Amino acid sequence: MSGAGLLRSELTKILTTRLWWGLLIGVAMYTVIQSGVTAAFAGVDPGAGRQASPGLDTPEALRAVYAGAAFTGAYIFALAIGVTGMTGEYRYETATPTFLATPRRVHVVVAKSLAHLVVGVAYGVVALVCAFVVGGVVVLVRGHDLGLTTPGLWRAALLAVLAVALWTMVGIGIGTLIRNQVAALLVAVGVTFLFEPLLSIGLYAADLQEIGKFLPSSASSAMTSPPTQLGELLPWWAGALVLAGYALAFGALGVWLSVRRDVT
Amino acid sequence: MRTGLTLEVVGLHKRFGAVQAVDDLSFTVPPGAVTGFLGPNGAGKTTTLRCLLGLVRPTAGHTLVGGKPYRDLDDPLRAVGAALEAASFHPGRSARNHLRFLAQAADLPPSRVEEVLGVVGIAEYADRRVGGFSLGMRQRLGLAQALLGDPAVLVLDEPANGLDPAGIAWLRGFLRALAAEGRTVLISSHVLSEVQQTVDEVVMIARGRLVTQGGLAELEQAQASVRVRSPERDRLAAALRAAEDGTVSEEGTDTVHVRGWSAQAIGHLAHTRGIELHELANEPGDLERLFLQLTQEGPS
Repeated sequence: MSGAGLLRSELTKILTTRLWWGLLIGVAMYTVIQSGVTAAFAGVDPGAGRQASPGLDTPEALRAVYAGAAFTGAYIFALAIGVTGMTGEYRYETATPTFLATPRRVHVVVAKSLAHLVVGVAYGVVALVCAFVVGGVVVLVRGHDLGLTTPGLWRAALLAVLAVALWTMVGIGIGTLIRNQVAALLVAVGVTFLFEPLLSIGLYAADLQEIGKFLPSSASSAMTSPPTQLGELLPWWAGALVLAGYALAFGALGVWLSVRRDVT
Repeated sequence: MRTGLTLEVVGLHKRFGAVQAVDDLSFTVPPGAVTGFLGPNGAGKTTTLRCLLGLVRPTAGHTLVGGKPYRDLDDPLRAVGAALEAASFHPGRSARNHLRFLAQAADLPPSRVEEVLGVVGIAEYADRRVGGFSLGMRQRLGLAQALLGDPAVLVLDEPANGLDPAGIAWLRGFLRALAAEGRTVLISSHVLSEVQQTVDEVVMIARGRLVTQGGLAELEQAQASVRVRSPERDRLAAALRAAEDGTVSEEGTDTVHVRGWSAQAIGHLAHTRGIELHELANEPGDLERLFLQLTQEGPS
């Protein structure tokens, strides 16, 4: 068995059911909303005496409209495809023919992870295109410059794509840990959409942002260098390293559990 | 001519929590024959096959394919083709795409996918999603999957399940032809009659243990008996038992079944003792009854 064949096999699996493009539509729609709303409200006085966010003439705001929105719009779907990529093998018992063809399960999990990273990159790129088109239109409509030469924009854009891809690995780890597809999806989305933000707010309130900034979502946010008020996020490079660390840890968890488990 | 590989199960134990699914099971499956792996539901057949294929880790003992553990095979799909359940498919994926990802993983040429689709007769449904397949079509797709690597060994779990009579007849001929080519064919079933006309060898298990193993013909012969009716049944039975050959079992008020004696020998014995006989008939071996009896009693 060759590595290239195995990677192709795992990509074929993803691309031959309808889920990937269903999620891709989700990526496009959610990113369009994210970038449109972010661009529309950047620098607008929220009233009630609160401070306005940076305006569209600042690098922070432009990075948020393009790169930040692309990440936010895509990562949850990247997480979902990672979860289903793993749980689907158990739910539909395709783990059986898969491990018959490749009894060295480590190879399967590594190939599956790489295939999902590739799909994650594709999701990130699509999100980025959507963010540039929709965010750009709103920026122009509001009478600002497109700002494509903004400092740090392209680095943030590239890292947004990387961050989206790395979230598929988190999904694979969760999918290996919880084999029930519905439960795994609920836990994955619940933790990232609900528990993690709450935890982050709690840590912030308890003056423990030093810990909170190491949470996966915070680390990912840091990668796109968004507007920050209190410097509560890691620098972009540290965010990237921390998220890569999570991805590796979840990937390793996937390998470790898959190798041991009985496939019944 | 495709040379088969010998399958070996050696001292296999598998415990799932409190359940001893397989209990000290040993047998071998020779190449060039169709071997039936028989046992009632829950006897441990599927667990044994999954251990053999490296999917389930034995608690103790080991299994070998051509002298090697499955996980150490260089080219597993070319060595062993297996179809374990009719449900190992993603319902949203087409039959062709299911076979494609397996062919890619095993570095088999894409042309093999088309070949096996044709062999099992589902080429015209190849682009339909498997979710809409009947059980019989899934069985055929499972068989196509097993044949993908043109393997030396074929392992099929309940392959006749869901096939129509024509399908079963076709499968029988197909498996016999593969064994005649020299390949190893192992098929499991919980219905003896389903495989009786297909298999040469039989491995029977119950409650995770071996009940009997051997050639089908020998097992049938060993099961053959003579039915004798006599008004002096008890005297006859005592005379037969005194000779200490074979086994004697009474039925009703005037009948005995005798195994290990020829009808001639019984007739002669009755004649010399002056016992009146009303019937003396050869009964062919009833493997189905043996199967029921052995698997219900369990191993002794």
